[in-house]
Amino acid sequence: MNILTIALRNARKKWVRTLLLLLVFSLGVVSIVALSFVSRVVGDGLEKKLVSYGANILVSPKSEKLTVSYGGFALGDMLFDVSYLDEADTVKRIEGIELRKNVSVIAPKLVVMDHVQGAAVAIVGVRFEQEKLLKGFWMVEQGTFPGETPEQAAARQAMAAPMHDAPAHAPAPKDADPKDAKPTAAVHVPAGADALLAGSAAAEKLGLKLGSVVPLDRHKFVVTGILAPTGSEDDNVLLADMDALQRASGHPGKVNFVEVAALCSGCPIDDIVNQISAALPGVEIKTLRGIVEQRMVSVHFVKKLILSVSLVILLTGCSMVGISMLSAVNERKKEIGILRSLGFSRRAVFSIFCAEAAAVGLLAGFVGYLAGYFVSFRILAVLEIEGAGSLPFEPLHLAATALVLAILTSLASLFPAWKAAGIEPSEALVTL
Amino acid sequence: MHEPQIIDAPLLEAIGITKSFTQDGMASQALKGVSLSVAQGEFVSIVGRSGSGKSTFVSVLSTLLMPDAGQVNYNGKDLVRATEAEINAIRHGDFAVIFQFHYLLPYLTALENTLLPFMRSLKPVTRAQKTRAMECLARVGLADKAHRLPGQLSGGEQQRVAIARALVKEARVLFADEPTGSLDSATGATVMELLGQINTEGLAVVMVTHNEEYARLAHRLVRMEDGLVV
Ligand SMILES: Nc1ncnc2c1ncn2[C@@H]1O[C@H](COP(=O)(O)OP(=O)(O)OP(=O)(O)O)[C@@H](O)[C@H]1O
Ligand SMILES: [Mg+2]
Repeated sequence: MNILTIALRNARKKWVRTLLLLLVFSLGVVSIVALSFVSRVVGDGLEKKLVSYGANILVSPKSEKLTVSYGGFALGDMLFDVSYLDEADTVKRIEGIELRKNVSVIAPKLVVMDHVQGAAVAIVGVRFEQEKLLKGFWMVEQGTFPGETPEQAAARQAMAAPMHDAPAHAPAPKDADPKDAKPTAAVHVPAGADALLAGSAAAEKLGLKLGSVVPLDRHKFVVTGILAPTGSEDDNVLLADMDALQRASGHPGKVNFVEVAALCSGCPIDDIVNQISAALPGVEIKTLRGIVEQRMVSVHFVKKLILSVSLVILLTGCSMVGISMLSAVNERKKEIGILRSLGFSRRAVFSIFCAEAAAVGLLAGFVGYLAGYFVSFRILAVLEIEGAGSLPFEPLHLAATALVLAILTSLASLFPAWKAAGIEPSEALVTL
Repeated sequence: MHEPQIIDAPLLEAIGITKSFTQDGMASQALKGVSLSVAQGEFVSIVGRSGSGKSTFVSVLSTLLMPDAGQVNYNGKDLVRATEAEINAIRHGDFAVIFQFHYLLPYLTALENTLLPFMRSLKPVTRAQKTRAMECLARVGLADKAHRLPGQLSGGEQQRVAIARALVKEARVLFADEPTGSLDSATGATVMELLGQINTEGLAVVMVTHNEEYARLAHRLVRMEDGLVV
């Protein structure tokens, strides 16, 4: 029993008021904690998604370019002196910049023009492992990715569409299940030829099917996969493995340009560009600035929104504490008079009021954090957002939340407590 | 009524106390230069008509109200000019006040209310203090009701808790403003008996009362009229 007993007993006696305050503050904390947890998961997911939308930095050799258009009719870009970048060197230099942690994908490209049955088509050489990171939306409609074994393709398809799982009761014997046969049907690539992934529109226009042969000079490519429509430029081209295309086109180790994806909320894009420029003198670097900034703005907007909602909730809670405490001071004038007549100092009276508010804050912070933590799981489940498993429970954050709330409610009760401390025993006790 | 143990040197001495109140722009002088001295262990009762300034005077004596002018000397110190810390120390250790309306904290039990003087800081109440509080409650006949809240006690019982709270401090002066004012005569008599007993143990008592019979139990009877002692 000490001075805190007085504060806590009163809080307990006025349990309806205490419970109400506790409820409001807990709700505030719940929403803040849940918002921050969910925004963290969503933010992480968003980043991944943003990266999957494609590259945002384009590294290409400096070229003299003249856009020719006459009378509103675009004749296309006329390129003089097509130049190449050395793939290994360029990639190494980009990987060597100081902000390399912010660079998520480096995807070099080699574009070679070819004629298939009289129609011009571009074959684009890519590094598929990088490209797939950059283009998470890619789906192989028929066949496999170049370089993929049928087993890998099956695994990828199983991941993408778990509902098409093979029957669970008995493991189907390998290669015997007719269901597996079609999507993973591997096209045999004869020796001396290379695999080719066809964009949906290109395949249709050129009448390409799995197994079709596309010659390039004296080299042969075999279509082993056809992409589902992506709505992007990839629909119109044929994609080949970089090494194969470099060999076939006679440009070993060379690429036309490199796409770099460096996207994370708050990424210092300008710094990254500057560092890449410094690492690659004489090379042109373009940011798809508009897109980048738009993405950043939306991420920041959401964060700001969450922050302001949190602030409003907390402010509302604080004014509730302030108001309820202030009316309590008037109700409790007599008590204050008794305490003062027993030799309680002004400071002691002040502390009693602050302690009461702090106790509410402490408890609300504690309860609110725990509730917010679990509510986050529910929200993520309802929104069907994955990544709830990565929500770390940190006791330190719990303690910090409770402490911050206690400080906040104490601050809100400063004025009422100060008023209480100023009450003279005579005003409180003298009855007329 | 009991053997006086009065020592002549005044323990508490008020000299020329004045106090006026302004209400609705009208100033009225409640105390017009009142003087009184209380010896150690003395029992003084103050009587007078309603509005004569008794409560105001007792409040000034007990440091709960600041006078406009005059001195309140206690233990060689003028309380009117004392620092807040000194006043708090005296309120805590030397003076005890009980009122007509018992003034207990409604959310603390009788025992906790009795212990209230020891709950001024973070320092927890000691076992010895608790034992003493129980003794004091036993003294006023409430040992069995120590754990009840004020709302579960009768008016007389609440007043006795207030007396126990005064006792537990081992104060030297007890101020009582109409302690029996809200009690029926039988209950009032027990409270008065208690006050008399406590007084015989060396505690000076300054009591305001409207009951002439109780007033006559004191060593000295002071009559106030219109802000003055007559
Ligand atoms: N806080 C105050 N504000 C204004 N006037 C006051 C205040 N306290 C006392 N008075 C006035 O001072 C005068 C003395 O009041 P006091 O309470 O001391 O009288 P009392 O002798 O105790 O009367 P009662 O026997 O009715 O308790 C009264 O005229 C009263 O109206
Ligand atoms: Mg009075």
